[in-house]
Amino acid sequence: MNFQSLINSLQYIKPEIVIAVVIVLVVTTDLIMGKNKSLLPWISIAGLIVASFFVIEQFSFKAVSSNANGSIGMITADPFGAFFKIIVIVSSIIIVFFSLSSNEIKEAFERHGEYYTLIFGMILGMFFMISSADLILIYLSIELLSLSSYILAGFTKHSLRNSEASLKYIIYGGASSGIMLFGISIIYGLTGTTNLYLLNSFFHLPQFGGFIFWLACILIFAGIGFKISAAPFHFWTPDVYEGAPITITAYLSIASKAAGFALLIRFIKVTFIDSVDASGYWQLLNLIDWKSFLILISILTMTLGNFAALWQSNMKRLLAYSSIAHAGYLLLGLAVLSDQGLIAILIYFAIYAFMNLGAFFVVMIIANKIGSEEIDDYKGLGYSMPFLSFSIAVFLISLTGIPPTAGFIAKLYLFIALVDAKMIAVAVIALLNTVVSLYYYIKVLKNMYLVRPEKEMPAVLVSPAAFAMLIVLLVPIFLFGIYFTPLVNLAKSSIGLMGF
Amino acid sequence: MTLETILFILFAGIAATTSVLMITRSNIVIAALFLILNFGALAGLYLLLNAQFLAVTQVIVYAGAIMVLFLFVIMLLKPEHERSIYKIPGMKIFAFAIAFLVFVQLAYLILFSSSSEKVSPDVQASINAGTIETIGRELFTNYILPFEAAGFLLLAATIGALILAKKKIE
Amino acid sequence: MLTEFGKIFIFMLTAILFTVVAIFVARLIRPARPTHEKLLTYECGEDTIGSPWVKFNIRFYVVALIFLIFDVEVVLLIPWALVYQQFGVGGFLVGFIFLFLLGLGMAYEWRKGDLEWIRPELKHSVLKKTKTEKQILKEETVA
Repeated sequence: MNFQSLINSLQYIKPEIVIAVVIVLVVTTDLIMGKNKSLLPWISIAGLIVASFFVIEQFSFKAVSSNANGSIGMITADPFGAFFKIIVIVSSIIIVFFSLSSNEIKEAFERHGEYYTLIFGMILGMFFMISSADLILIYLSIELLSLSSYILAGFTKHSLRNSEASLKYIIYGGASSGIMLFGISIIYGLTGTTNLYLLNSFFHLPQFGGFIFWLACILIFAGIGFKISAAPFHFWTPDVYEGAPITITAYLSIASKAAGFALLIRFIKVTFIDSVDASGYWQLLNLIDWKSFLILISILTMTLGNFAALWQSNMKRLLAYSSIAHAGYLLLGLAVLSDQGLIAILIYFAIYAFMNLGAFFVVMIIANKIGSEEIDDYKGLGYSMPFLSFSIAVFLISLTGIPPTAGFIAKLYLFIALVDAKMIAVAVIALLNTVVSLYYYIKVLKNMYLVRPEKEMPAVLVSPAAFAMLIVLLVPIFLFGIYFTPLVNLAKSSIGLMGF
Repeated sequence: MTLETILFILFAGIAATTSVLMITRSNIVIAALFLILNFGALAGLYLLLNAQFLAVTQVIVYAGAIMVLFLFVIMLLKPEHERSIYKIPGMKIFAFAIAFLVFVQLAYLILFSSSSEKVSPDVQASINAGTIETIGRELFTNYILPFEAAGFLLLAATIGALILAKKKIE
Repeated sequence: MLTEFGKIFIFMLTAILFTVVAIFVARLIRPARPTHEKLLTYECGEDTIGSPWVKFNIRFYVVALIFLIFDVEVVLLIPWALVYQQFGVGGFLVGFIFLFLLGLGMAYEWRKGDLEWIRPELKHSVLKKTKTEKQILKEETVA
């Protein structure tokens, strides 16, 4: 048997190997060290940094692994995947630092080993989701990600809400992954293969199409749509986001969503592509009208997210609905079905990661201090916690998309892509949605600055570590808001998917 | 009638009967036992399709481990009060509607869609592919990565199961 | 077309048929005169008290979960055990990594004490050795 081609393919999964080794290291360290858990976060960060070196190496690749018999394998290494992996790694590092200053996580001290193991389980799942080109590996990686996040969502011990979040997540997640598996099995039954590249060449044959095929694709989309919380599959989001420990909420809203989007883009672009024309528009095979479908889903998602957010009184729930709305904007970038739309998505994600992580971080610190996440309890915080209030104001303004913050640039590129593709009506709907979102973000700021608290609160100081963290998160918001050329260039150079 | 047809009718009959019996029993433990029988009959059907590995898996994992889990959960939950589920108005209609939808879907798949014959040329080979050796060879040449990923999935599952269960114990 | 498994299955089928037929034939032949006493659940000759539905310890559930997970791993290892020889060291390594992860999960359970049952804590006086053997012997000889 020829193992040579397999060994050659190992170079494409170096980051994944590093993450896998870190999982084993974390578990063994936890088992050997017993009560001493202080080493674990640093092992995690070291592992992530090593992995990031190998991910950066992948920016120069554009390859797919091969099987023992030389046929197309199931792992790709390309700049597109590397970009999303970098987003995952950066958000993971930030989350590890979050966890160090989170009261919820500190309370569950004896379970820190499990916490970091499962976070790395999520990372491994996300990496495979981002780079896999085979429906079987896609399904397994989604399961790995979901399983770890179910448990992390119910991580804290004594909270009833927490258990409820975990249970709801498991039930919705199990149902949706079952639905996705059904879709995959239909596709396999129709074609006899699960490899995306081979599927693409099958789909060029004239006899494809019909109701069953359409159904299978929608079922697979349902599984991915669950991960990115797109509209009809978003029901879990508010409850899980509210009940989960806030570090995990933040992580789910960035990393897991990023991996889901990477998977969706790869699935649509690799499987259904016919050709890419000179101006970067993707000509998809005439099997499914992905464009109308995605536009429908995205408008539904953003409208639902934004309007539901108007009535929220809990900060985590509000951010949950806002993250649903943002998934809608991002889907719109995909619906353009062009390289320009893809660039817009990449830019949006890089910026969204910082602003959303920042917003959750401030909510966490405030919850640590005042013990509440209710917006009504934020009254007058602008005076007792000036710096924290300033930062959350910046993050929320950036989430709305108002200059000079980076959020504006993200939205700007999205709208340019929409207008260029002559999707004016859709762009107008998205713009109106942004206006709606302004209302609920500003409501928080109004509570903090314009409403006097019922009782006078003493001024609270921010710890140096949290202060440094906030600066790290605030700088990109302003930097990319003013000097965004490097980010745009990076995004432009990372749109290359293996194959097309 | 060949032996295969007779066996098919036997197993399919057992599977259909036991599944109906399973959902109509009011005693949940008896329902679970019928489910085991149902799994066994399905394993027989898999064997008739030359899917030996699936049949073995069906018996070891489903009829074995999952049913043990089911029974323990039943005993854990003390299901005396669970019989009232049929009292929810519209529950039966809803259930019938869903079942009918699934039936129509399957019927459509079987009767009106035969594109698999058109596309995949090597049906005989795919039938022969069900032996454990073939699956082993596939696993260790083309599917190594999913195999190891499954290893990590199961490790995460082990740790996660214990975390969630301990939450209850403490 | 029956494979080797088919023969085994027919064997199993015969075994099942044997028991089923035996039970039904017995039911046909035997006299059946049920009384109220006869139909009661037999519990060491005593009348039953309360419901047989008792709430199990959740530890049973944990054990069943662990059993399920390891069962799946075993099922995945069967094909490996059959073919790894054909692939030399590479084939062995693939299975070894999988087995290593399995062992890691096992070690985790062991170290975290999930395989230990909660035993009822014994009363202090029962467990405590108040007198050494020598003392007892001495007392006995004195007596």
